[in-house]
Amino acid sequence: MEPRKRGFGYYAHIYKMILFQDIKSKMSYRADFIISTIGMLFTNIAGFVTFWILFLNFPDIRGWTYYEMLFLYGFAMLAMTPVQCFFDNNWNLNRSLYTGDFIKYCFRPVNLFFYFISEVFDIKGLGQLAFGLGTLIYAWNKLSLPLTPQNILALVIGVLSASLFMIALMNFAAAAGFWLLGATSVMIFMFKFKDYARYPVTIFNRAFRVIFTFLIPIGFMAYYPSLYFIRPYEVPLFTFLTPVFGIVFFYLSYLFWMKGARQYTGTGS
Amino acid sequence: MNLAAKISVRIRQSAALMRGSIMEGLTFRTSTFVTIIGNFIYLVIVYFLWRAIYDSSPSDVVNGMTFYDTMVYLVLAAAMFNFLDSFVVWDIGRSYQSGELVEFLVKPIDYQRFLFFAHSGNCVVSFCITFLPTFAVIYFVTGGSFALGLNLVFFAVSLVLALVINFCVDFMVGTICLYTQSIWGVNIMKEVVVSLLSGATIPLAFFPVQLREIVDLLPFQAIYHTPLHMLTGANLTVGDYARGILLQLFWVFAMLCLSKLFWQRSLRVMTINGG
Repeated sequence: MEPRKRGFGYYAHIYKMILFQDIKSKMSYRADFIISTIGMLFTNIAGFVTFWILFLNFPDIRGWTYYEMLFLYGFAMLAMTPVQCFFDNNWNLNRSLYTGDFIKYCFRPVNLFFYFISEVFDIKGLGQLAFGLGTLIYAWNKLSLPLTPQNILALVIGVLSASLFMIALMNFAAAAGFWLLGATSVMIFMFKFKDYARYPVTIFNRAFRVIFTFLIPIGFMAYYPSLYFIRPYEVPLFTFLTPVFGIVFFYLSYLFWMKGARQYTGTGS
Repeated sequence: MNLAAKISVRIRQSAALMRGSIMEGLTFRTSTFVTIIGNFIYLVIVYFLWRAIYDSSPSDVVNGMTFYDTMVYLVLAAAMFNFLDSFVVWDIGRSYQSGELVEFLVKPIDYQRFLFFAHSGNCVVSFCITFLPTFAVIYFVTGGSFALGLNLVFFAVSLVLALVINFCVDFMVGTICLYTQSIWGVNIMKEVVVSLLSGATIPLAFFPVQLREIVDLLPFQAIYHTPLHMLTGANLTVGDYARGILLQLFWVFAMLCLSKLFWQRSLRVMTINGG
């Protein structure tokens, strides 16, 4: 018998229930929560300090000024928030495959990917959201960009589309664990790319520009969508394609993840 | 038991632990392979980024560092990070949370020494498989931008001392986990502080003067900056090398004492809590 199709409302309801359970359990380890949040803040501040030191020594990078780079930085940080908040459970995938715990997800009558991912909501990501937003507003002011409804709408769409790329990248990396032992290193490797997303793709040569646009699309995580705001007179086609590419890339990663999950045979225990 | 016999037991213990961890390190080949590719891509990104930065600068030498100096420094710092990052903090934190720690405490070997040698094999493996190739590649890519002479000897010595200092930092931070019950948060703070203040993210030569003065008083610069400076620094005299090594030795001694003291104090607290 075909399983009954379930709508968006049903999944939103389930997500809310799982979310509350997760937050409740997190709140029982209050010290851990507070320290982790501070830790997250540390990484953001350190990134900022690195930036600041760099620009103390060099006035600009290939015509990109401090505030323009700061805009990219804030944008990238915002775009990395959804992957941190909603998709953090990917980091546990390898362990649960290894121990055999993963089999429990296979027996639930909901979408496997949805159920696995919804299990963890990482509140630490909210600190990043605040920091990114602060940086972006600061840079926005300093560059005296116009604050029109059209720009705000574009910003929301831009950030959301950009975030899909990092989510997809981490899905691919985590799903590699269905075939490889010890794929956590693949995740660490992919996760590092978020640090390079904040630089303009134009610093690379032609070959790597192609790689960072199509293969490991870090160009879309901040650079292409940001051009719409900071270089409005030279917006390339890729900027407008960001949402489309994002959705396609995310969907491919979803298919890859599910393909891996379907051939998982458990540990036999 | 006389002293000679005691020492021979110690050496055999340490050698056995090291052998075990070397084998463990060799088992996870995927991760080694990915790390090597990761280093290569990092090298590419660092190359283009700093090429762009130096191209935009009016002079070729900034704060006494050329483009190649900066590249060697940063790429090797990343390669060092791979073998210095030993997950000691996670080990201590996890074994405390699971209660396994007790098993180690009743064993007739000092826990700190046990951990050091149990991780040393991994360092050796990762040094040979990832650091040495990266070292060779960066040497040829930059067209032999650093000398291969006396500096290599001091670099090697300095690297070993850096390993010990880094281990002590990790061990102390791991001990903090006995109080906080938070591993991730404590570990990430350590990683951020160490990599920023040791020069691993941006060479210390670029730091503003006041900040540099503070950083010089901390042990972290002895982990990445000292060995890398010895390798890449131009016109260093034997006196400069000796000063660097002596300062590192001071930090080895200080950090060993501090971490031991902190651990013993914490053990007392832990016993009270654990009941």
